[in-house]
This record gives sequence, structure tokens and C-alpha cells, in this order.
Amino acid sequence: MNLYRPELSRFRFLRWFDFRTWRLGMLAYILNRVTALGLVLYLYIHLVVLTMLAAGPKSWDPFVAIVRSPFFLALDVILLAGLLIHGLNGLRVALTGFGCGVRAQKPLFVALMLFAAIALLIGAIKIFTG
Amino acid sequence: MSLNVTLKILRSRPHQAQRYETFNVNVPDAANVLDAIEQAWAQHDRDLMFRHACHHASCGTCAVRINGAEKLPCIAPVREYIGLEIKIEPLKNFPIVGDLVVDVASFFQKQEASDFTITRPTENELDGRPIAHTDGLDSESAAIVPFNRFENCIECGICLSACPTMAADHKFFGPAALAAVKRQLDKTTDANERAKLLQLADDEQGVWRCHSAWECTEACPQNVFPAESIMALRQEITAQRFKNFFRR
Repeated sequence: MNLYRPELSRFRFLRWFDFRTWRLGMLAYILNRVTALGLVLYLYIHLVVLTMLAAGPKSWDPFVAIVRSPFFLALDVILLAGLLIHGLNGLRVALTGFGCGVRAQKPLFVALMLFAAIALLIGAIKIFTG
Repeated sequence: MSLNVTLKILRSRPHQAQRYETFNVNVPDAANVLDAIEQAWAQHDRDLMFRHACHHASCGTCAVRINGAEKLPCIAPVREYIGLEIKIEPLKNFPIVGDLVVDVASFFQKQEASDFTITRPTENELDGRPIAHTDGLDSESAAIVPFNRFENCIECGICLSACPTMAADHKFFGPAALAAVKRQLDKTTDANERAKLLQLADDEQGVWRCHSAWECTEACPQNVFPAESIMALRQEITAQRFKNFFRR
């Protein structure tokens, strides 16, 4: 198709963050992207941290002691939140993408996020008390 | 009874910095935002560029953003904004011609790609009696039928403005064109025509480019449900692929 190519700003995607008009679908869209970026960042940090294993217990054991601090446990809770939101929202996108629950995408999002909140609460308790 | 309304309109011209300009206008309390824009033009600034035609949400020409949300100002009552400044901006994801006028050429090109000429089943009958499109027309008028682009979509461009994918990639066909493809697909049973339409929807800039934000359906003033059409097209394409796979 030979389409007319309008001249548009390269940075117009920044309008995604115009929260004045965010509705539930857009909120889900933004949440999925923010959590995806967070999870990718975590993956790389995780790989870097794992290289400490190669240096043996002298390097690894003090690190494990640090990550058991409340600050790092709170980071674990944030990671779990990212996993739950991204995974469950992704499930919703996949389902609706194949035509399942299309007209119920909003209640589906709310139900999955409620499930995520409950799972996160249980997970947070386990992380801090386990 | 009349209302004092404050409009804050985004003014722009090619190669000039954009700025907001405030207009205070007086309109009847039953007025819509488009009436207020017209007052601003008539009483304050004849250079103000905006577009309109029908004044009753059937042409889609006047679409703008009102306080950030895509709307048809011809059916947006000013009384809904009492006590608020009404911020009016042009649609997003289109090049701006000037002030509130955007260039919609690419939008119509995409619409045409679907060969979108729709006839509702009810348009083929009158009181249960089948009619031809040429019934009651003289030969000159009959020559230009079918002039049957009657469908809920009024081609206002609001869905493209609301679409976050469109903001990242203007090559994306967009919700309106894909909804037109779906409507065209529903209309035909011709296998070749269906294959052509599904191929169009399956294009790299077609249904798979949509990231399911549902903003098009939310913003659409005519309940066209473009996002639902995109999902239905995906379903059809996937089913077709499965069939083709097992036919091998």
C-alpha cells in the first residue's frame, strides 16, 4: 500500500504518559510496559549477581547476608508485584487477543489484578516471615 | 439563560511555536463546545482554524480533544464543563495543518485499502419488501450508486488519536481501517475476497501491531467497537492458519 506519510514528531509516544485520559485499558497498557522494563532490568542484574558464584563462597556468602536485609526483601516484594501484574495482564491480553472475553476485558483486568493483590499480600508475608 | 465559558485553545501554524490562547465567550446553556468555538471565531479571532459541518455527530469532521479526551465538540455540552476551563487541542497522531485542523489524508487512504463500501441488510429492503439501490432514482442518480458508505463509523479519526500504537508507529493501519476490514469480511462470502481481506489484516502493520489498550473502543463516539473487531480478525486469522497447517 502506498500510503501518505505524515510528518510527525518522533517523540509523540510521550503522549502515552498523558494520564489525564487514562482509562482502564490504557492503565493496563502502561502497567505492562513499565513492569516489562523492570523485569528486563532485573534479569540483567540477576545475571551479573550470579557471576559472584564463580568466585566461590567467600564472595557469595556475604552477599546472601546482605540480600536478607529488610530493604532487599522489600525489593523482592516489588519484583513479585511486577511478575504478577505483567504475567496476569499478559494472560488477559493473550485471551482477548484470541477472542476470549473480549467484551469482558475490563472486569477481567480488575479480577486478575485483585487476584494479583491477594497473591502479593500472601507472598509479601512469606518473604518477610519465611 | 446563557453561560460564560472560558476556552483555552492550542494555536499553531507551520514553523511557528505552539501556544495556548484563552477566549471568554457567552453561549446559551444548551450550547455545545463547537458553538463556543464558533463564538470565539466570530467574536474574537477570525484566524482561528477549526473544521465542522453537520453539528450533529454524523460527519465526524469536528473531532478534537477536549480537556485531553478525544470528543466530537458538536455533541459535547458546555454545561458539563461549568466552572472548568475548556482546553481544546487538535487530534493526536495527525500532522497539524493549523490550530484545530489536522491532515487526515493518511486516515482516508487506510480506509480505502479495505474497499470499504458497506450496505446494511436493512438498506436492501423497505417494509419487508426487497428494494434495489436504484429504486426511485433517475438514471443520473442511479449511475452513482452504490453510494452506500453507511455504517456506524463516521470516520472522525478519534480512534487513531486515542490509539497508543498509532503514537509510536504511524504506519499501523489503525483501528478504523481494521474495523472496516472486519465489517467487509462479515459482508462477503466470496472466498477470494475473504482471503484478500484477511491477508490485509495479517499484514505486519495490521492486527498484530495492536497492543490491546482498548482506547479506540473507549473513545469511539459511535460505538463501532474497533478493538473488538481487531480481536475478531485475529481469531479468524489464527483459525485460518490452523486450518492451513492441518491441510498440508
